[in-house]
Amino acid sequence: MHDRLFAGCTLLLCLALVVVGWAYQAPFAYEPVGPRAFPLLLLALIGCAVLYQLIRPSTGQHAQAEPALDRHVGRKIALCVAALLLYATAFEWLGFIPSSVLFAVAMARLYGASTWQSLIGGVVIAVGLYLLFDFGLDVPLPLGPIAALEN
Amino acid sequence: MDTLHYLGIGFGVALTPYNLLTAFCGTLIGTVVGLLPGLGPVNGVALLIPIAFALGLPPETALILLAAVYLGCEYGGRISSILLNIPGEASAVMTTLDGYPLARQGKAGVALSLSAWSSFIGGTIATVGVVLFAPLLAQWAVAFGPAEYFVLMVFAITCLAGMADNKPMKTAIAAMIGLFLSCVGIDANSGVYRFTFGSLGLADGIQFVVLVLGLFSVSEILVLLERTHHGQKAVKASGRMLFNVKEGAFVLATNLRSGVVGFVLGVLPGAGATLASAVAYMSEKRMARHDNRFGDGDLRGLAAPETANSAAACGSMVPMLTLGVPGSGTTAVMLGALTLYNITPGPMLFQNQPDIVWGLIASLFIANIMLIIMNVPMVRVFTRILSVPTWALVPAIAIITSIGVYAVHSTTFDLFLMIGIGICGYILRKLDYSLSAVLLGFILGGMMEENLRRALSLSNGELGILWGSPIALAVWGLVAVMIALPIWRAWRTRQSRNTAVADSRA
Repeated sequence: MHDRLFAGCTLLLCLALVVVGWAYQAPFAYEPVGPRAFPLLLLALIGCAVLYQLIRPSTGQHAQAEPALDRHVGRKIALCVAALLLYATAFEWLGFIPSSVLFAVAMARLYGASTWQSLIGGVVIAVGLYLLFDFGLDVPLPLGPIAALEN
Repeated sequence: MDTLHYLGIGFGVALTPYNLLTAFCGTLIGTVVGLLPGLGPVNGVALLIPIAFALGLPPETALILLAAVYLGCEYGGRISSILLNIPGEASAVMTTLDGYPLARQGKAGVALSLSAWSSFIGGTIATVGVVLFAPLLAQWAVAFGPAEYFVLMVFAITCLAGMADNKPMKTAIAAMIGLFLSCVGIDANSGVYRFTFGSLGLADGIQFVVLVLGLFSVSEILVLLERTHHGQKAVKASGRMLFNVKEGAFVLATNLRSGVVGFVLGVLPGAGATLASAVAYMSEKRMARHDNRFGDGDLRGLAAPETANSAAACGSMVPMLTLGVPGSGTTAVMLGALTLYNITPGPMLFQNQPDIVWGLIASLFIANIMLIIMNVPMVRVFTRILSVPTWALVPAIAIITSIGVYAVHSTTFDLFLMIGIGICGYILRKLDYSLSAVLLGFILGGMMEENLRRALSLSNGELGILWGSPIALAVWGLVAVMIALPIWRAWRTRQSRNTAVADSRA
């Protein structure tokens, strides 16, 4: 069922992308194959494959490695995605350390830590990783408002 | 002997103190990354690329680091398989079948040391194989033109789908999605912006670090959330820590056979360590006499997949180095790293930059030796790491992943893109699509399109050039075999099912 739903969505997406991709043409053609041939070929192949998935007879056997989702897990997944998105938003705006502390605390709570565990863990992880990457490995990280304090 | 001469140069590169230290750090990081559930060699290698860049490592050192991490992961994956019954990475799944029962029988120490030894044998056999076959293949590959390369990549994609056990169609779709994703961004030949939807962040395409970390780290974080509480405790590794001569001799034949199987499957583009360990386990099980205890703690069942996955890890370096076509998800990432250094892997690499190629090959030997030395006595230290709780591990993984992505361009756009890709990856994974296939397709896509266009430019648009040479025709033949293989397999299972139904009715 889910497979067919996915196949249907992919097929629609392919069609939309074909419409978008049809317009890609080089202003000056130096070579016989333009910029749109390869992606359109792929979209056609994906479309055919997905169409086959959509209409082929159901095999009836379900040997899925991944457990099915229930409402509880679904809610957790949504929260986790929200945390990731907020973290991405705050990454430059708040600076690495504050945003990472907040994010790590939230994630630790989500993965079953107690309040104290998550608070201590969050601060240790965020500050530790900042020191490791910024000083140890020379990867520059955004400081955000804290940068003003340094001068 | 040219090969020996070059190997000497390679050891000269790999044995400099700086590169030795790098290899040591790599093996250590690799083992830890491999044993942590949720981090496999793909993430480990991808995370290290921005760091290798930031540290300003020269290309050969960076490559040695990545290869050492890759091998280390194959060693580390076995520890959580044996002690926790949770594979640290996909290729260690088969190790759980006999490793965990052994640990529960109180033979955890024996199992750990024997599997380290098996990994060592597998890695060594395969590295010897690399030394013997890589230069041959490279010599031969010089004759490849763009048309042959294009066909070869078609073969890599069909091989990926044809070798996937029970879902060839899904794997093919996943690979093609990857191929398509590589089209996003500005087209180098004509300057046309393709599928960017006006976004500046997508103008130079999807960065492959973003794709890898989105597909593998973010989706893994979401999967780990589902399985937060397994309530599983690690089995204490106690008792005899080293296997004895009798046990070693008992599995030696298995080691040698599985090493060869692993190497051959590793060389095939797209097959990789996961398939190699499964094939080695199954064939050993079939070859064993009836009094075997496979699935119940048979030492051969432990040795076979461990030997094979290390051998495959080394073997997959062959197509990457000689043809520039990666043999596995992890080598695909390494290939991406090489292109970041402006090095194009392929047959010319052997002639133009022998120190890089042979340094890498020599460091495979050295990393193997380091890993066996590190893994036997230090196994107790590594098992400690398994007691790190998920709630501390996951935020750290998520933050390190974000740093890795942010370090590429210093824009938060990439972070959002990574999360979006991660959610798609999670959905694909829930629906049983192969994420490594997406990654391989993505890496191959750019080269595939370029070679196709170059070939057709040479022939002025004449499609005949694609099957104009004997090499191309031979590879097309292999493609046909790979397409026929899953169809034949499906037909055979249907036949056997029909006879079974007929038997039960009779």
